[in-house]
Amino acid sequence: MIEISNLTFRYREGSAPVVRDVSLTIPDGTFVGITGAAGSGKSTLTYAFNGIIPHCYPGDFYGSVVIDGLDTCTASLTDVSRLVGSVCQDIESQMVSSVVEDEILYGLENFGVPKDEIGRRVTEALDAMGIADLRHRSIAGLSGGQKQKVAVASVIALEPRVLVLDEPTAELDPASSVGVFELLRRYAREHGTTVIVVEQKIALLSEYADELLIVDGGTVVFRGAPAEVLAHSDELLEIGVNCPRATSLVNRLRRRGLFAGPAARNVDEAVAACKEVLA
Amino acid sequence: MSGGFLEYVPGDSFLHRMNPVAKLASAFLLVIACFATSSPALLALVLVVDAVLAVRCDMVAQTIGLAKAVCAFSLLLALIALLFTPAGDVLVALPWGYVGTGSIAAAVLIVVRLVACAVPLFLVFYVTKLTDMANAIVKVLHVPYKYAFAFTSTVRFIPVFMNDMAGIMEAQTARGVEFDGSLAKRIRLMVPLCVPLLVSSVRKTNSAAIAAEVRGFNLRTRESGYKDYPFAAFDVAAMAASAALVAAAVALGLLL
Amino acid sequence: MIEFKNVSASYAEELPVLRDVSFAVPDGDFVAFVGTNGAGKSTTMRLVNGLLKPTSGEVLIDGASTRDLKTSELAAKVGFLFQNPDRQICCETVREELLFGFKVLGRADAEAEARVDAMVERFGFDPDAEPFLLNRGTRQLLALASIIVLEPPVVVLDEPTTGLDFRECGKVMDAIAAMNARGTTVIMVCHDMEVVGDYARRVIAMTAGQVVADGPTFEVLRDRAVLERAHLLPPQVVGVSMRLGEELGVCAGTPVAAANTLDEMERALADAAGAGAARGEGAR
Repeated sequence: MIEISNLTFRYREGSAPVVRDVSLTIPDGTFVGITGAAGSGKSTLTYAFNGIIPHCYPGDFYGSVVIDGLDTCTASLTDVSRLVGSVCQDIESQMVSSVVEDEILYGLENFGVPKDEIGRRVTEALDAMGIADLRHRSIAGLSGGQKQKVAVASVIALEPRVLVLDEPTAELDPASSVGVFELLRRYAREHGTTVIVVEQKIALLSEYADELLIVDGGTVVFRGAPAEVLAHSDELLEIGVNCPRATSLVNRLRRRGLFAGPAARNVDEAVAACKEVLA
Repeated sequence: MSGGFLEYVPGDSFLHRMNPVAKLASAFLLVIACFATSSPALLALVLVVDAVLAVRCDMVAQTIGLAKAVCAFSLLLALIALLFTPAGDVLVALPWGYVGTGSIAAAVLIVVRLVACAVPLFLVFYVTKLTDMANAIVKVLHVPYKYAFAFTSTVRFIPVFMNDMAGIMEAQTARGVEFDGSLAKRIRLMVPLCVPLLVSSVRKTNSAAIAAEVRGFNLRTRESGYKDYPFAAFDVAAMAASAALVAAAVALGLLL
Repeated sequence: MIEFKNVSASYAEELPVLRDVSFAVPDGDFVAFVGTNGAGKSTTMRLVNGLLKPTSGEVLIDGASTRDLKTSELAAKVGFLFQNPDRQICCETVREELLFGFKVLGRADAEAEARVDAMVERFGFDPDAEPFLLNRGTRQLLALASIIVLEPPVVVLDEPTTGLDFRECGKVMDAIAAMNARGTTVIMVCHDMEVVGDYARRVIAMTAGQVVADGPTFEVLRDRAVLERAHLLPPQVVGVSMRLGEELGVCAGTPVAAANTLDEMERALADAAGAGAARGEGAR
């Protein structure tokens, strides 16, 4: 379980706090999608989950973030990392190896996973990301989507309780983006892992997340199941967050009084809503 | 996949399979041998060894490219040697001395020596995974992991930065900057581009450091490595052969 | 006019990335290239402004082969916005960055200064700001502005909206649309199908280095076979419209099955529902 209480954070070089008085409780196994406009503080809030703030960026940190009883501010970043696996945005510079297998081994070796267990962990992580065939390939020769899967595999091999991903599909095409989210959701469900994804592509989050957090001005302004949050498409637009078009369509039908059901998260749900309207 | 500059090229030649430390040691011994001798015969022998290694690793094209680059670089040194090493029969008189047959020999020697010793070193980088090199150095030579990691990170970022620089130059070419021209002009045009390169380098190294830390970098010790790097018979043989070359070089030097 | 005649291209000794590609983009067109990563879209963009020369075939700009044009001539004809603005931005202030292109092309005169001032005004830039300290969206806008300030007849955009939020994306795309309205030819690579649907008039779909479809935006994006071959998802409203047309017999041939935008779809559904309700009342 993740408990954030009254978290406020100000970067040392900044004058205004980037995260303001955020309090949240996230139960185990939740798939959380975080989004917001540029400069809303969504990335900084995400850094609070994996201890990157306050450990890597100096600043004023008020309140607390407690993950499975561990206070991320007083614990060392290494200890936080035993619970929370992080996939950074710039995967190119995250890679430490030239070959896929070595990349997966890196964290396992560092955290002292017993040698007789390492083999199984590597295989399972590669399988979970569907890249068993890439095991001995050179990383430089992989596509963007494949590299992203390697980056995720190298972190899930550590079997973290919480997985934090910073814009994992920024460099990917739509087909590979869906592929990465599909694998993430399946892995998280099978292992009961909590997943925190910060992402610009709200259509993907609406489809895959159990819970959406919309950040504006350093605070969480909307929070809930995607269908609940997406019902507020007009307010979201005002803070620079655009809903998926399928959602906007159904919300317009709701406004016209043609449809009374919940907001649509994707094309399938919009089609169902339209069928109801046309029936 | 031809791979970029200093990027690992997969394969399973004996050089690929050798112990990383043995490879490095042998390469360094060859470097010492090259610098310890002025014997054309011995240098020729090293060049033959270079050629055999390149063929065995299937890296002939890259090796020739490297040899050309080293030649170009060493020409400057060779020119200095040519002009300032008055030796042998006088060919051209100069105000401060003369260019003689010996000067030509000295110049040629510099080029040959640099090429001969550069090839094994570069081949080692192409046929050894950096992680293996770092892990082996840590395990066998007991070098602290921090230093090994700093070293491998530097080497790993070379192709990344070169790629960045190529991208930046391409973007400027698209704006009409003509990079084709004299060296002086090219350098003048490239200097302002170091700013974007520096900015992206700082961002990259910063995020690499964070990424390593959240994957337990600080916990790593000599025992952490999953793989062991024992010496095999041919590792010892390769080092012995290289050492023999050094001995031969020194012996020849004493005899002549 | 940009013409590709049987163009194949490859990078140093590797397999061809582009195989026998032919198309023509007339002046003033707005074309989006779509397809998965590795389909050859970015390579096509680099061929358009001669950063890469074809290994066989010919790329013609207003009838002249890119092989025969000098870098500066190419740069004057075709502006290129790269996906990563940080590779392009190299000056110490916003103003200098906007002037840079004029300087390179030897046209830094009073008119250039005036155009730069107009651009600063239009985008609300701080002319003395240091570009690297701006946020990602503003840097992208600056990179775009420093290209369009030169008013090239053609602009090539490699994923101009990647990494931008909704508002920034709107700003960048509106600037591009305005430029197109004034006659500039726009050729872009874009993964965001909503952006493609909103702005492009023509779509060229690529897969494995070949063109698989080329036509008006919604004709291509409504072609199931093309979508499948190029691994594309249509814009969501188009997707809904297609599904309704396919799954509900009564919708086939009606505006519901032909709607491409939110407004069209909303109206079509409201009309159809209204008509259905009216019929229901009449029967009662």
